Amino acid sequence: MGEGGIVRSFRYWHEIVLLVLIGVVFAFAQMFEPRFLQLDVQRELSTHIWEIAILCLPMTLIIITAGIDLSVGGMMALCAVTLGMLFQRGLSPWVAATMGIGVATLCGVLNGLVVTRIRVHPLIVTLATMAAFRGAAEGLSLARPVSSFPEAFGWLGQGVWWGLPVPAWCFMGLLLLTASAVGLSRWGSYCYAVGMNPEACRFAAVPVNRVLLGLYAFSGFASGLAAVLFVARRNTAKADIGMGIELLVITAVVTGGVSIFGGRGNLLGMVLGVLLIHETREFVSWRWSRDELNFVVMGLLLILSVLLHRWLTPANRNTS
Amino acid sequence: MKKRSGLGLILVGIALGVGCGGQPGGEGPEGAAPGTAGEDRKVTFYLVPKKKGLPYFSSCAEGARAAAAALGNVELIYDGPTDGSPEKQAAMIETFALKGADVIAVSPNDPDVVGPAMRKAREKGVHVITWDADGVADSREFFVNQATAQAIAYGMVDTMVRDLGGAEVSADVAIVTAYLTAANQNIWIEHMKERLASSASQLNLVAVKPSDEDQKLAFSVTQDLMKAYPAIKGFFGISSVSFPGAAEAVRQAGKTGEILVTGLATPNSMRSYVEDGTVKSVVLWNTAELGYLTVLVGEALATGTLSAGATEFDAGKLGKKKVEGDQVILGDIMVFTKETIGDFDF
Repeated sequence: MGEGGIVRSFRYWHEIVLLVLIGVVFAFAQMFEPRFLQLDVQRELSTHIWEIAILCLPMTLIIITAGIDLSVGGMMALCAVTLGMLFQRGLSPWVAATMGIGVATLCGVLNGLVVTRIRVHPLIVTLATMAAFRGAAEGLSLARPVSSFPEAFGWLGQGVWWGLPVPAWCFMGLLLLTASAVGLSRWGSYCYAVGMNPEACRFAAVPVNRVLLGLYAFSGFASGLAAVLFVARRNTAKADIGMGIELLVITAVVTGGVSIFGGRGNLLGMVLGVLLIHETREFVSWRWSRDELNFVVMGLLLILSVLLHRWLTPANRNTS
Repeated sequence: MKKRSGLGLILVGIALGVGCGGQPGGEGPEGAAPGTAGEDRKVTFYLVPKKKGLPYFSSCAEGARAAAAALGNVELIYDGPTDGSPEKQAAMIETFALKGADVIAVSPNDPDVVGPAMRKAREKGVHVITWDADGVADSREFFVNQATAQAIAYGMVDTMVRDLGGAEVSADVAIVTAYLTAANQNIWIEHMKERLASSASQLNLVAVKPSDEDQKLAFSVTQDLMKAYPAIKGFFGISSVSFPGAAEAVRQAGKTGEILVTGLATPNSMRSYVEDGTVKSVVLWNTAELGYLTVLVGEALATGTLSAGATEFDAGKLGKKKVEGDQVILGDIMVFTKETIGDFDF
């Protein structure tokens, strides 16, 4: 391999470009809106992203297996409604929240079962369950919101612990667990393998079904956790929570360099993608106060990232 | 394979570092202290609608801009969620408060969701008021109320009674509302029921259906109601979305002139229905004046000329306005008819 070969075989160009782009946003902010970069501002603005970041963890792995989970918002809604209704019937909000996360995890298991047993494409399965979960949540709650949770529960969403919002610690804990599972066990390799060639995996004794079932269940769990944090943060449990959140999550993951066709991408890229999306979105609304502009910028970012991905990724990335 | 996962782990470690340090921190410079108000500084005023891009709110914003121009010391920024999401509205309020707003005037999409963000903004020293729709307790200082709920509700019922031929006419009517949880609409419905039950009307309310602020749904809900209650003579479309939806359903059913539709919407969105007779009267308040008054009230709070306990507010070209408790009342409803609708364009 010559010099060009080394450059081409370096696998992390996409991540470096994302870092540069994040740097550009910060530099712009430094020049025009220095207050945007202050610690207290950044800390408070960060509360807008943690739930999405949590949802990105399972979504990254699922997309690496060439799957997708569109039903995360629906599972959030079912969790929130379960939480709200049990709390209203006098249960402690902590117990209710645990039950809510349980319900969301079960929803994830259901997705996983349909994907693995009935072998329907995850896009179709989760498109169907997205509507079904949301509908069930609306029906159960009759669209009535539940609020006035105790302050101690609100701390989960609004509190600050050791200098960071509580949801940030939830995300980082979950990131650490996910990263260990991917890096230390065979699960990580399995995810990539399933994404690249599921048929070959079945012959190679890779437990494809168990991997997929586990990932969709994880997605349910993460949706439940995100819903609990959201309910605690906004002090309201209702059925329209997380409406359209799947698109933001997928945008962040794909911006992070995870290929929608499976087999490519990593958690580092995803974290950078989330960071870039978050800082860009917040900076645009900070500077221009024009909500419509945000949609345009998000769309451009997504296209830019896909183009970069194509230019920068050697064809053999993650296959050697 | 093994080598790859090892490298992956190292990178995840870096990712963690970035996640911990970079995201909430940024490279914060010393910067100016937040919210320090200078002497002759402009009042930074954020006007936040429920949903940006609706003609109703755009017409309010027109009035607000006129007020900002008339006052001269107000820098007005009009922004709200383009998708009408309450979560996004709350996030925007948080951003505006951090940016150092002096006044944030909100038409809360969902008072429970937006409430905590409004309270947090007040703790930062921002003057938070509501307009068009009210928020939850202690989330705001004043509510700029377009007209009392009673005036709006009674206005709609009385208009319907008059258009159907008078107080002695008895007929079935139905309400197509926004969401079942919409605070404004629910209070109006209460007062409408009150008025319908009184001696002022012989009308009989047969159904109240939600349209979820979706014109297509309002359309199909109205179609269903016409099938379920063949004797129905009138529909109330009590949001700017359900009103045109209901009117379109009546028009397409060929019932123009037989079934009347009335309700709340901007004149422009109802013009064609008024012209062909499906709708005889459009009930609303003067939206531009609502925006105008909102800016005046916010500016007066920021400069200290209005405070709790006032009973009257001098609204410049709008004249003196009543203050009831913590509500500044714009005034009465307006009814647009075939004769008058031509004079308005919003």
